Amino acid sequence: MNRIAQGLTLVLLGAAALTSTVPTNLYLNWVKAGFGPFLIAAGVVMVLLGVLIIVAELRGESHALDEEDAVPEDAVTTASSDGSAPRSELDHVTAEYGNGGGDGHGHDHSVAPRVAWLLLLPVIAVFVIAPPALGSYTVESTGGSSGPPPRDERVPSRFTDELSQAGPEDVVPLDIQQFVMRAWIDEERELSGREVELTGFAVPAQDGDGWYLARLQMACCAADAVVNKILITDHPAPEADTWWTVRGTWVEPEGDLYDVSEHEITTTSVDEVTNPPDPYE
Amino acid sequence: MSERTTSERDATPDPTSSLGDSIARDWSDHGDELPPADWGRRTGSRRTGTVWLFALFITAMAMAHAWLTDELTSQAFLAWATIFTAISFQALPFLVFGVALSAALIAFVPTSAYQRFIPSKPGRAVPVAGASGALLPGCECASVPIAGSLIKRGVAPAAALTFLLAAPSINPIVMIATAVAFAGQPEMILARFVASLLASVVIGWIWVRFGKADWLRLPSRTHAPGASKWQVFRESMLHDMMHAGGYLVVGALAAATLNVMVPREWLLAVAEAPIISVLVLALLAILLSICSEADAFVAVSLTDFSPTAKLAFMVIGPIVDLKLIAMQAGVFGWRFVARFAPICLVVGLLSTFLIGAILL
Repeated sequence: MNRIAQGLTLVLLGAAALTSTVPTNLYLNWVKAGFGPFLIAAGVVMVLLGVLIIVAELRGESHALDEEDAVPEDAVTTASSDGSAPRSELDHVTAEYGNGGGDGHGHDHSVAPRVAWLLLLPVIAVFVIAPPALGSYTVESTGGSSGPPPRDERVPSRFTDELSQAGPEDVVPLDIQQFVMRAWIDEERELSGREVELTGFAVPAQDGDGWYLARLQMACCAADAVVNKILITDHPAPEADTWWTVRGTWVEPEGDLYDVSEHEITTTSVDEVTNPPDPYE
Repeated sequence: MSERTTSERDATPDPTSSLGDSIARDWSDHGDELPPADWGRRTGSRRTGTVWLFALFITAMAMAHAWLTDELTSQAFLAWATIFTAISFQALPFLVFGVALSAALIAFVPTSAYQRFIPSKPGRAVPVAGASGALLPGCECASVPIAGSLIKRGVAPAAALTFLLAAPSINPIVMIATAVAFAGQPEMILARFVASLLASVVIGWIWVRFGKADWLRLPSRTHAPGASKWQVFRESMLHDMMHAGGYLVVGALAAATLNVMVPREWLLAVAEAPIISVLVLALLAILLSICSEADAFVAVSLTDFSPTAKLAFMVIGPIVDLKLIAMQAGVFGWRFVARFAPICLVVGLLSTFLIGAILL
């Protein structure tokens, strides 16, 4: 990979980062919204660096740097100041220079290793594939959702929702993750008899009985997404991956909440929505 | 998409050198939309060839965008592509930040500064480096190039490696993320800090005792005496981006593939066995290559596993994982990784069992 190619690759990669953040919201399909400013900054830096490299190359100024062939000053000072292994460090440097250039091992400045071509893969991913947010496929292939949080963590501060503050007759909007958390570990059963409003995408149940309203919870990026889902049996199953806002009431299970594997609601209204801006919670 | 046109404009052809086979060879590694192998040989210049290659690439992408994008409907492939892109883009800001910082260390901080702040005896430098890992916010993608530049600056390799391990494991952002994920379990936060720091320092000392300098392949940078600091900065940044960045993509490819292909049920089946479950979560941490700032949230969601197993997930993840192995190979060479990664795994596991037995 020569320097022009390196510069152009950086420009394209930076352009991919900027395209997915500035004119579009594609990046929300992959990472947390908080990454936006950092992606923009990284994109700007990469485009600038790429342009600088190309300009420098076209002016021919880089050759002074490339063709220097002496043992670097750094290595010499290293050898004299680092008491432990001066000999081998210097030997190593000489050996590096002894085996000749052009094998892409980094001491020839102007050539990057082959693997750097792979930096074009994220570019292709953004511009050609434009990967969508994870959806029903991930929910189905994950099978059972993640287990309940550990028992000993049941402290009220873990509930970040507004259920406790809302009046008893209010419809409380909840994240699906908040609903599942309540349904699983709230021994006070505050959800009981309350009408809640939830938004998520539809996933047909695999055994054909009802469907799930699901949403993926993301800590950082899509690789760590965790599935939360709620069973609905009193409304015909919509098409997979369509988005719905559902109002309804928790179906309170018998016995210990902790042993429940699926959470269910009875619906009072089911309305289709256009995709929410951020597909994850 | 204005950047694309800019890139074409900037790269005006300049016929000076002849086009070697290398471009065509490099390109053929790359996958589809290939020109024939003898493409470009007729043109006089390597640079012209490159510019044409990129122009063709951009045209091919535009055509694929127009015709192919809507045809890509395989759910499994799209899920894979989403996770690959997610890992790449999540790591990208950290990579750029780390590369810029390491280039700044090379270009603007004189060697004497390190000699003043870091003890010259490697045995004593290692704990100092471990503790200073607690200061730099960033994930493992940032720390690989920084460690490389520290070694080039004359810091004892063992100390730089300790920093490489400690920085992503115990930095403030990671500790806060862990505290949020494990709210109400301060012992887990303490266990993570102690186990990770212990592992980093012990690995550093092992490297002091047994490590050989020629296992580390460092690009011995040569800078012409006349090069300005900004030129040095620019060249260092380019070099590290190309090396660490390329391998980051390799790691992201591997991690995305495993993420999609390994069903979670397999894991839950072994969650009950005491020692096996710890090893399984350590293996999972290696395969998933989740950023150290997010791994606590994943660990807390693996609720069927014991606290020690979760601790293993958080201790091993930042010091050994696929993405990290690939990046270290890019910066330090495979000879290094083949020795370093197993040491990290073994010491990390021992530290986990020890601290887990004491604290959890």
